[in-house]
Amino acid sequence: MALISYKGNELVVNYGELRALVVDDYPGMRSALKLTLSNFGVTRIDLAASATEVLFKVQNNRYDLILCDFNLGEGRDGQQLLEELRHRGLISLEAVFVMVTAESGYEKVVATAELAPDDYLIKPFSAELMRNRLDNILLKKLTFSQVYRHYENHELEEAILGCDEIIQTRPKYLVDALRFKGELLNAMGRFDQAEALYRQIIEMRAIPWARLGMARALHSQKKEAEAEEILRDVLDQSPEVVAAYDLLSEVCLARKDAAGAQQALERGVAVSAKTVRRQQKLGELAFDNGDLATAKEAYANALEKGRNSIFVTPADYGHLCRVQVEQGDMAGAMDTLRKGRNVLQASPEGQFVSAVVRGIVHSKSGNKEEAERAMDEAARLSQEGARTNERFMLDYADACMSSGRHEEADAIVREVARNAHDSESLLAKAKRIYSQAGRTAAGDALLSEATSKVRSLNNDAVILAHKGDYGTAMEKMQAACEEAPQNPRILMNTIWIMLKYMETAGMEHHLLEQVIAHLDDAERLAPGHARLATLRAQLRDVEARFGIRRK
Amino acid sequence: MNSTDLYAALMHEFKNHLGLLGMTIDSIPVNGDAEHDRLVDEARLLCQRVIDRLQQALLFYKAQQQAIVPTVEAYSPLDVVQSLADTAASLARSRLQVEVQTGADVPALWFFDRTLVEMALLNALHNSLGYAKSRIRLSLAKVDDGLEISVLDDSDGYPEHVLQAFAEHQPYRATGTGLGLQFAQIVAETHENRGRRGRVLLSNDGGALFRLRLP
Repeated sequence: MALISYKGNELVVNYGELRALVVDDYPGMRSALKLTLSNFGVTRIDLAASATEVLFKVQNNRYDLILCDFNLGEGRDGQQLLEELRHRGLISLEAVFVMVTAESGYEKVVATAELAPDDYLIKPFSAELMRNRLDNILLKKLTFSQVYRHYENHELEEAILGCDEIIQTRPKYLVDALRFKGELLNAMGRFDQAEALYRQIIEMRAIPWARLGMARALHSQKKEAEAEEILRDVLDQSPEVVAAYDLLSEVCLARKDAAGAQQALERGVAVSAKTVRRQQKLGELAFDNGDLATAKEAYANALEKGRNSIFVTPADYGHLCRVQVEQGDMAGAMDTLRKGRNVLQASPEGQFVSAVVRGIVHSKSGNKEEAERAMDEAARLSQEGARTNERFMLDYADACMSSGRHEEADAIVREVARNAHDSESLLAKAKRIYSQAGRTAAGDALLSEATSKVRSLNNDAVILAHKGDYGTAMEKMQAACEEAPQNPRILMNTIWIMLKYMETAGMEHHLLEQVIAHLDDAERLAPGHARLATLRAQLRDVEARFGIRRK
Repeated sequence: MNSTDLYAALMHEFKNHLGLLGMTIDSIPVNGDAEHDRLVDEARLLCQRVIDRLQQALLFYKAQQQAIVPTVEAYSPLDVVQSLADTAASLARSRLQVEVQTGADVPALWFFDRTLVEMALLNALHNSLGYAKSRIRLSLAKVDDGLEISVLDDSDGYPEHVLQAFAEHQPYRATGTGLGLQFAQIVAETHENRGRRGRVLLSNDGGALFRLRLP
């Protein structure tokens, strides 16, 4: 039997078909929730006491319903767990996630979280209330199931059409459909349409998420002043909308207001210190602004809050150590390494970070021999392919430079510059390294050489493509890709031109395979980038034209 | 932690324990013995009432610390009312009939804070559960200044002094009914849309009629 079926004219949920997971750290509550669910007719109910257990269980089972307590004791809370489940794609959009909470302040979290649960129940609640909520969400999921499937298959165009149909025919789900469509439009880079859509919602009621979506659409169209005005107003009225601080910080950066960007994130962190990425970003901004105390606190928080989080990498230990070194706290930096030893020893990337930090600390402390040994180790790991976040790679280049290893430093800077030829902040950081070493001219030459080759290949290709010479354009882009294999912008341009080439010259299977591999790389380097969705749609068009079906 | 924070934390804990007590009472089976079933019904009704009252008290406390800002979202008013009716019907067991009525022009969606609105309506429902003779009716209607959700019972109606005190906006009195109405009033007034505020209307119309208007 299906999960939902008709009984006469009415849709009913067949709870016997449902597979449920109940998550609570308190055994009494777990069994009470299980009892309630089984009274509804659910027979397949698993129990979990912690986030770790959930992560294990969802990888081995497909759940239709997860009922999760917000407060899970030590470690992650329910909201963090939800974010991880959705970010890692461990549960489908069709699966229902309901948060259970004793706090009647949780609706504020929901209203502002980028990833909201499907619904929430405030304890204590009656069985009837829970039954009603579950019925309603399951029916809503049924209405959106086609849309979700399209979305998960990257068929965004079709997902939008699905939303449009709901908008026209199902008034009860109008706002849900508009909200999802707005996110799709922003993800596809159709910012002017997203802007118009959010305007339509705000016309109905100025709810914070709609104003935030609008600000995002404006920011993406470089209408920074308008975006900033909306965000400041949203935050005046609802200071707890944390996502607005993140966006405001981006808007400030676009307006070259580094201090404002830092301030926005500091306010966001004051409201919610838990998000690892917000702390990392704050650390970066504060470090660049020379505010070492704030940078240190933010990086330390990122490590502290991010224990067990997928968002923490060895580079985060490196960043914290860098700040400590800058503050003259060598013992502190070594202590950070010691605390992170288990994580750092586990991967070549971590070993590399650790070697670089030791190299820097020993050299600043005058232990020449030990510094040499650590830098040798870092160089070896680097040659063997160990890489980490670009900012830290530049720190490594800096360390090489000050220990006289100019060649190694140049090689690293060249690589970073090629792969980030359009990142102002990284190029500026690289420039600083050379000027501090008294090699300003050498640095300028190296940076312009490293970026100009990629840049000119890219520009030539774009001009050729506009003239319709996709073949030559493709050759240029493939050369650019070899120069800068980790450069998301170059990868995306290459994909675009290769697909254009195939549209006109016909299908070539080895090219198609390259396109798919490039898409995966680009997704890894720039997750969720607006252009990726368009490129995927373009790929599907080409495949469809040549009758290729891929699963 | 100052003493008021301590009281709030204590109330919070009471509320959660009562929730578990409520679940325990729910698990006592009906056994057909009229006296037994009546006592169990009374116990669960009372338990739920205390829970709802504690929830209100916590909100009152919060309102004193800082203004209540409703978290407004789009909800289906019919879903909300239906779920309240189911809850009321379950609390009344078979003693009362609970029905839902909706007008053809009632919008499929309305913008409001679901938690607050449910709490305000639960209050009115508890009153009716206590005084109604045979039935309670929840209705939805589109009115000039917004959406109206009403609770009507077939009791003897609100006593004159309650209506008068409410009409004169007197500060809430120690009696249960007064406190609950005061709470509903606060909830209504925190809802604002383009300069219009929500309000609560009380009257007698073949029983007690409680109306919550949301702009």
